Amino acid sequence: MADATAALPSQTEVRWPRQFLLAGRLILGAVFVYAAYTKIRSPWMLFAMSINSYQILPEWAVTYVARTLPWFEMALGLLLLTGLKVRWSASAASGLLIFFFAAMVRAYFKNMGIDCGCFGFGERLGPLTLARDASLLVLAITLATVAFILPRRQP
Amino acid sequence: MRSKAQLWTLAMIFGLAASIISSPAQISAKPPKSTPPQARSAHTDIATAKTMGMKSAPIEVEIFSDFQCPVCRQFYFGVTKQLIDEYVTSGKVYLVHHDFPLPIHAHSQEAAKWADAAAAIGRFQEVEDALYSKQDSWAASGRVDEAVAAALSATEMKRVRALVDSSEVGAAIQHDEELGKERNVNGTPSIFVTHKGQMMPLPAQGTTYTLLKQYLDYLLRN
Repeated sequence: MADATAALPSQTEVRWPRQFLLAGRLILGAVFVYAAYTKIRSPWMLFAMSINSYQILPEWAVTYVARTLPWFEMALGLLLLTGLKVRWSASAASGLLIFFFAAMVRAYFKNMGIDCGCFGFGERLGPLTLARDASLLVLAITLATVAFILPRRQP
Repeated sequence: MRSKAQLWTLAMIFGLAASIISSPAQISAKPPKSTPPQARSAHTDIATAKTMGMKSAPIEVEIFSDFQCPVCRQFYFGVTKQLIDEYVTSGKVYLVHHDFPLPIHAHSQEAAKWADAAAAIGRFQEVEDALYSKQDSWAASGRVDEAVAAALSATEMKRVRALVDSSEVGAAIQHDEELGKERNVNGTPSIFVTHKGQMMPLPAQGTTYTLLKQYLDYLLRN
């Protein structure tokens, strides 16, 4: 019994990671909700055109992704903001951001001269947008890692 | 049981979601500027000659193009021509061409001058078609006039040749370039769609005819 208690981290030991987890998920959640909002408020065809600019997916897939991705981003953002299923949502956000970042890097180095399509329309893909996406990716991966390392909170 | 903080967050989120759903699709951009009467000059006639359809059409589509740009040619044959056939001729779209010759293309400025000179005699569409059709040829040789001559009669060609270096033509191109810079155009083609006073820049490289058609139909329904 005494050994089992000693193995659990104390409240002081987990305070800092929990504060990071809270701040990180609020920032990432807000970014995802805002990104989704900018797409949902406009007709889906505009986002489809942005996706199509990357020349990665066939047109049928572009249409499907344009209709569903903003709602998926919204759901992820809401999960992160509320703190529900953080392990799952932070992992999914990391996966999504890895895909976005890879697509953006490819477009940038192919000198495609396209819009980012990240937060609405008319934002040119460039070093700043890449740096922003990389920062979000690092945050999401760190968040997912911390969420898995921390013990679950007892009710 | 969830904490109070989580309940508050959920309530705020539902409020945000409700506001998103209830708000109409906002399209951001400045409304098109109207040229003050005193600033109008001869280039206005050329600008008008580079349009197609009825000015009263519910949607205005503006395209900033460079005649030597391969993507512009692709866009012209893949999108613009179908747009003309299905939406401009039926009075649903007012199509506006703007010249935006890029400095990276050696002959695009000259091509724009020939096209605008043709516009001055009312033969813009024919010359635009010829310039895109024969782009490979004149882009390599620099003989823009040969491509233009194929689309015009000898008399028309003579009139156009006399206008190519005129100040009216120069002013018309300059006006388009200034308008493009004002709208942060930095590549071609650049497309702007205006509906009910709201202007929307489209991601040109991703604009296929199918997607544009769905977007235009959406606008016409709303």
